[in-house]
Amino acid sequence: MSSRKRIGALLLVAIAGFLAALAGSIHPAKAAGPTMTIWVDQNRKDAVTQLANQWSAKNPGVTVNVVVQDFGSIRDKLGTVDASTAPDVILAAHDWTGQLAANGLVEPIYLSAAVKKQFPAYTLNAFSYGLAVKKLYGVPTQIENIGLVVNTSLVKVPSTFAQLEQEALAYKKKVHASFGIAVQQGSGYDAYHMYPFFSGLGGYVFGTNSAGNLDPSNIGVANKAFLKNSALIGKWNKEGLLNSALTYSTAQDAFLKKQAAFYITGPWASQVLEQSGIKFKIIQMPKIVDASVPFLGVQGAMVTKYADPHGVGGLAEDFVSNYLTTPAAQLALAIANGRYPANTVAGKSVTDPVLAEFGKAGTGGVPMPNIPQMASVWQDLGAAWFKATKGSGATPAKSAFTAAARSIADKIG
Amino acid sequence: MSTTTAPTAGSASPTPTPAPLPRLVSAFSGTVGLAVKYTLLSLSNALAVWAIYVLITRHHWVAVVLLAGATLLIDLIYLGGHTLMPAKFLVPGTIFLVGFQLFPIIYTVEVAFTDYGTGHIGTKAAAIQQIQTTSLEPPANGKIYTMAAAHDASGKLVIILQDQASKQDFVGTTSGLKPLAAADVKAAAGQITAAKGYTLLHGAALFDADRQLQTFVVPVGKAGIRPQALTTAVELEPTLRYDAKRDAFIRLSDGAVFRDTGNGEFAHGTDGLEPGWKTGVGFRNFSRIINDPLIRKPFLSVFAWTFVFAAGTVFLSFAIGLFLAVSLDKKGMRFLRTYRSILIIPWAVPGFLSILAWQGLLDQFGVVNNKIIHPVFGTTVPWLGDANVAKLSCILVSAWLTVPFFFIVCLGALQAIPEELTEAARVDGGGPFQIFRRVTMPLLLVAVGPLLISSFALNFNNFNNIYFLTAGGPPQANSAVAGATDILISYTYKLAIATGKGQDFALAASVTIIVFFITAIISTIGFSRTRVLEEVV
Repeated sequence: MSSRKRIGALLLVAIAGFLAALAGSIHPAKAAGPTMTIWVDQNRKDAVTQLANQWSAKNPGVTVNVVVQDFGSIRDKLGTVDASTAPDVILAAHDWTGQLAANGLVEPIYLSAAVKKQFPAYTLNAFSYGLAVKKLYGVPTQIENIGLVVNTSLVKVPSTFAQLEQEALAYKKKVHASFGIAVQQGSGYDAYHMYPFFSGLGGYVFGTNSAGNLDPSNIGVANKAFLKNSALIGKWNKEGLLNSALTYSTAQDAFLKKQAAFYITGPWASQVLEQSGIKFKIIQMPKIVDASVPFLGVQGAMVTKYADPHGVGGLAEDFVSNYLTTPAAQLALAIANGRYPANTVAGKSVTDPVLAEFGKAGTGGVPMPNIPQMASVWQDLGAAWFKATKGSGATPAKSAFTAAARSIADKIG
Repeated sequence: MSTTTAPTAGSASPTPTPAPLPRLVSAFSGTVGLAVKYTLLSLSNALAVWAIYVLITRHHWVAVVLLAGATLLIDLIYLGGHTLMPAKFLVPGTIFLVGFQLFPIIYTVEVAFTDYGTGHIGTKAAAIQQIQTTSLEPPANGKIYTMAAAHDASGKLVIILQDQASKQDFVGTTSGLKPLAAADVKAAAGQITAAKGYTLLHGAALFDADRQLQTFVVPVGKAGIRPQALTTAVELEPTLRYDAKRDAFIRLSDGAVFRDTGNGEFAHGTDGLEPGWKTGVGFRNFSRIINDPLIRKPFLSVFAWTFVFAAGTVFLSFAIGLFLAVSLDKKGMRFLRTYRSILIIPWAVPGFLSILAWQGLLDQFGVVNNKIIHPVFGTTVPWLGDANVAKLSCILVSAWLTVPFFFIVCLGALQAIPEELTEAARVDGGGPFQIFRRVTMPLLLVAVGPLLISSFALNFNNFNNIYFLTAGGPPQANSAVAGATDILISYTYKLAIATGKGQDFALAASVTIIVFFITAIISTIGFSRTRVLEEVV
């Protein structure tokens, strides 16, 4: 090819490329009004879409863009997403609050006194975080917690822990099982499902400081009262009340196949339980030394820092703090993924007995700590339970939990 | 050097007709080829121009320059003459190499020298702004107002306010608060519906004012009234003041100064403000790996186990693969194809699926224990629950996944060994075992040696196998972060997500770099060993 021909060819290719690019970059006529993007999980996609449409009908001209994300990945994706495609509102779990706020990714929300009154104080507290000033970062929408599921055709519903222990062991002997209460542990170390035992023995994760904030330097994993009571864990281990080898599926299997009459689980299992045909009742585990309260999980919605630069800051706040807080919206969201609504007015219209029983089982529960330091706790606390309840060769609970407390303190630094 | 390097199984016997590939090449050399070339180049240019347009709108300037440069280079090379011929073949590969290999490496190295992690993900400017927003606090008896955005007679943005407690009405401007007569403001159902002398904003006009409202402050003494959610406004007071000259935050209540510590945060003693920002910290992460007992202690034991895991997996799978290959390397054996096909199955199923299946099988209450071990021996084996047994399980499952690979490789290598050599050895009086050890094995190792090393390197970083089978568990008595079966890479992952304030990507990146060097050193030593092997033969 001669050099002139080559230049001609280059020009030709460049022009063709440019034209094609032009054709590609022509946008469809842009919507006239603002667009608000919401990240939701698959379960609540339809409910949120419906609510968003009702809300935008009251704000004509606003387009709502509902984007489905894997729920667990929303927290971390928010930190890496490109600003132009970032969401203005996200559905979130309360224990993300600390991390998201510490990363500066979510905006404070201010609720009016009338709205605040409709929510239990702990649900609002669960979404509050701040080193200098404690701020509310999310609107609670649903509550979840675990409870003790009792097969009422096999055993009596226990009213004391001694009764529970006795009945569980008697049934264990009857069916030759290797555990009395089906609580999942497995290789992932599950501190969440063990928490009622932990709190019942006087354990706690973080204490609070004088300002009422969770204090990461006050670790209660091996507090004196708990260590004193922890000898009971050794006793349970010896008599085989618990079995650390149980996983999510084997624990459920054991209850469904009547290998265990007691099962600790949350509302995510309610459908399976209802369809199993087993007669059951859900209660809070009876008091051991202290009340055996579960961890509480609160789900909710947050306004991200991207809403302001997108020009929808006020709209996003309106949707989250004025609309999603209404009893009707709360009920719709709660039904969508089978949880109890956070709004107490909405809670009164919950008719599902299983949900109501789970709700009762959470009375006095402790919201999972929402400070980011909690990430250093889960594994160690779960591992301590695993080590102390693994049957023969188990570590004495006292040393397992003391080691866990030390390691958590080391990791938090 | 050996001259008997294995001929590949796919080499065709010499035939007079040209092979399909050259024929294809010649078909595309003429006008057709030119047309295809121009079409493809135009498409790539079009894609590039479009991408540059998008990148410009998102202000990714470095990417714009890189992309424009690469596109021009491609155009020049493919339109250039024969002098650039080699480049035509090298460039696509190089671009993919840079995109998929070099970029992640550079990024990892960059992260390793920062404090990237929870609380340190954004820029300093964003952090300053966020601290200002989150340090606002309602003063004692702070008021909440029902609000409506409006334009005054001159078209300036103001907010009409009604105190939710006292129901008094005001108009707020950027210069202050002015009371309005109750008769002039109409409100219904918690919303202001009209205000005499002001035009309330609705619909598009209100949405247009959204951005402006977010920074709108009505000064009231030390506090300010700020719009929230378009229909309410809250009285808020700053608790911190940013002093740009000193580059510090000052707490208004006691005058405490929060200075830039150089570690990506403002702090007053040990009392830090959140959020911080991402900043360079030099070798801090590396010195933590060396000096912090929390990280250093498990590092050595994890390293030792990683080595055992990788070496054990490779050795076991190679031994079994070789044994199977030797047993099935028989001509005229019946059902040979069937045997071989069955052996390849573990390889054909996606690895993580079979690992999850194994996890279920080896579970304390799984099939292996319930249907085999317990009925036969009357006891159960804690396959994944006991530290040593779990280690064994990891090696066994990984070996199960790798056996097909070595089976195929060994089978090919065995068939490539010239029969004359084994024949000659037999004539010389060698027994089958002797022939295998002196003739077959050395020749086999020449071909398989490098694969043993790359398989070792692969298993050294085999995150999937460990994570899906045991998740690093069971927990160890002496270590917080690392479980009994954690290999370096899964340990790194745990460091990245479960220490301190949650995520410490920077620390994980620096461990990754160390793991990279370890793998590189081991592979280099290994490869030089195989070269020695070749020379022996």
